[in-house]
Amino acid sequence: MASSTIQRAGIVGIPPLSIMELLATPEFKIFDLDEPQGKIDIETASPFLPRVYCGILRTVIANSLAIRPDIIYIDTGSGKCDCAVHTATVLEDMLPDTRIVRTKNQDSIDFGTPLCKTRMNLLEKMAAITATVQNTAPYQELTSCKPTAGFWGVPPRDFSILNLFPDTTHIYGWARCMENKTPDNLDLELHYNPDIPTVFFAQSFCAKTALARHLAGKHPHGLYLDCDVTAGNSAKAKIQAFLELSNI
Amino acid sequence: MLLADFGTSYCKLLETDSTEPPRLIATRSIDRSLKVDIATGHNGKRYTSHYVNELTALARGGLSLIKEESFTLLDCGSRDIKYVAYSGGKIKDMGWNAECGASMGFTIELLEKYYTLDFSSMDIPESSFSITCGVLGMSHIFDAVVTGVSEAEAVAKFVKGIAINAYNFAKRPEKVYLSGGLCDNPLFVGSFPCPVVSLGRFVLLEGLQASLNQNK
Repeated sequence: MASSTIQRAGIVGIPPLSIMELLATPEFKIFDLDEPQGKIDIETASPFLPRVYCGILRTVIANSLAIRPDIIYIDTGSGKCDCAVHTATVLEDMLPDTRIVRTKNQDSIDFGTPLCKTRMNLLEKMAAITATVQNTAPYQELTSCKPTAGFWGVPPRDFSILNLFPDTTHIYGWARCMENKTPDNLDLELHYNPDIPTVFFAQSFCAKTALARHLAGKHPHGLYLDCDVTAGNSAKAKIQAFLELSNI
Repeated sequence: MLLADFGTSYCKLLETDSTEPPRLIATRSIDRSLKVDIATGHNGKRYTSHYVNELTALARGGLSLIKEESFTLLDCGSRDIKYVAYSGGKIKDMGWNAECGASMGFTIELLEKYYTLDFSSMDIPESSFSITCGVLGMSHIFDAVVTGVSEAEAVAKFVKGIAINAYNFAKRPEKVYLSGGLCDNPLFVGSFPCPVVSLGRFVLLEGLQASLNQNK
């Protein structure tokens, strides 16, 4: 049967384009392990990673336990994070039947960032950006909109916070690097628009909290925000109040 | 119109068509069928169809009452602490600590009653306990009393620890504008390591009034 030959490939972070081209064939079914894959209890990761740890990587562990991929490509370069280096080691011991492949994505060809700048519901826009990881074809052109707000950071573990932003929110930070397929592009990650109110977001317990807070302090109208696995009422209230009080 | 700030321990109500001052009602005594025209507070959504986010109400209240372009306004409630910071007339920072800095106001009131203390006549201690949470901080009091410290002194150190924690949470401003019921507690107000301007417990009602004016 053809289906029995299909390999389940997990990806963590953004593996290099050459890997994604390899996976973009009928022999592989790709699982983005950074994102919640259905109703998988994140607490199943707790025996393997501390509870006080990046919510994205705890999600990776919980997904890997539930899906048990045949192979996992985990980016452990500076386009991801040190925590992923250690998570790769945990995955190796946790899933002895899964092949763990460490990558260091240093791709430098700019694919462009049309989604980051177009008018679209921010949750749908971020979902479209994360989906671009599995798309190796050049992007369609999209009309850019005039930004009224900014979201800087990584795709959050809890996408519901994105529903609070207007459709004319531009995306900056690592999520923009993600769409551009250059995750290790610090210049692009540091870029923001000083003329629009911007929320600088990072996952709690992630090293990027330092950069997010630093840039929020430099930005003339920036708000730093961090959230763990799910965004509580106070985090959502901060975003809502920040946008309201910025007349958005 | 009836405006209300539904707090954890106390509800504050203002009838805008009346010359009467705002009313303060214990939350446990509030009529559950009450309906108001505009509300804020963590309990407020059930009483109104026009709800204003607490941080928004706090900020708008501050903008109405404070005649400066740059300020930090800290609200110390029964259950949580929150602050807004303006710089050059623009919102610059805010925070809302509902969990790990929680239950401070409630615990202070509880301790005053339990130990039959009078905060208005107590000296501000030189040192404080290191406290990040009202509930967890209570163990410091019990430990100190066991070692011979008077109950009043231990509670005073606890209160000062809470004030310093709130000050740190608001990013250590040069001056604090204070909102909430703890404005009436001289031990708490005097425990801040910076100048404090007390605005009282009706700042969020002021913010609701400003929200109404904006919608006109």
